[in-house]
Amino acid sequence: MIDTSDASNTSEPLESFSSSEPITLVLPPKPELSKIARLTGSALAAISGYTLEEIEDIKIAISEILIALIEHGSGSYITLEFLANKETAGSKSFAVYGQTVTKSFNLDDPDLRLCHTVLEGVGATPKITFKDQSAGIAAIITKTITN
Amino acid sequence: MSDQIDDETMSAEIMEDGTIIVRGDIDIAGSPLLEITMEKQESTGTPLVLDLEKVYFIDSAGLRSLLAASRRAQENQKTIALRSVGREVHRLLEITGTTELFNIESRRD
Repeated sequence: MIDTSDASNTSEPLESFSSSEPITLVLPPKPELSKIARLTGSALAAISGYTLEEIEDIKIAISEILIALIEHGSGSYITLEFLANKETAGSKSFAVYGQTVTKSFNLDDPDLRLCHTVLEGVGATPKITFKDQSAGIAAIITKTITN
Repeated sequence: MSDQIDDETMSAEIMEDGTIIVRGDIDIAGSPLLEITMEKQESTGTPLVLDLEKVYFIDSAGLRSLLAASRRAQENQKTIALRSVGREVHRLLEITGTTELFNIESRRD
């Protein structure tokens, strides 16, 4: 098992690492796999030089996307994509995109609204789409580089 | 003697004094177990006390469980006490503006 605390406490992080192509994870819509998604995303964030607090935000964003897609999807597989963007103009961003099949996606559902609120609260810019029985949620977390 | 319910990522244990000690992630997988444990303890009629010292992750699914318990408590003129609240739980409560719904007895950090 990947230990995110160990990864984020690595004394010499791979600061220059960034994924030019998204890392894709395809999961059955099982709640118990939420942690696997968080661990995968946080491991990518850790080797990309994100701080512990930033990684906590990323983990929450991943979890919120999965909650929405598991609870409102039709039971089909969920595709998650992670992309740690290169540092540009004093900022860096970590993008999480989730997609699944669903027959309906009520954006006014209180649970979905709570997911949206939490995503915004951790600094993500969430974008929820529903078209042709496919629901997608993109959350891009942009962080300002302080050093 | 205690009553413990757990899965691979979270456990919730009712101690002799009624405190529920939660360990692990309160997420979409763990929140149903927490709900079962809280409802079991609520059935005794004593106010809920959750020890969250070993909780390092919570998401909106976990928060919904806490909010549902808070609503039930309010209906009975009771409150839910949270002990050893870490920054992860506190942050989510602040983001969602729900801190005031709980009696935060102590912080872990």
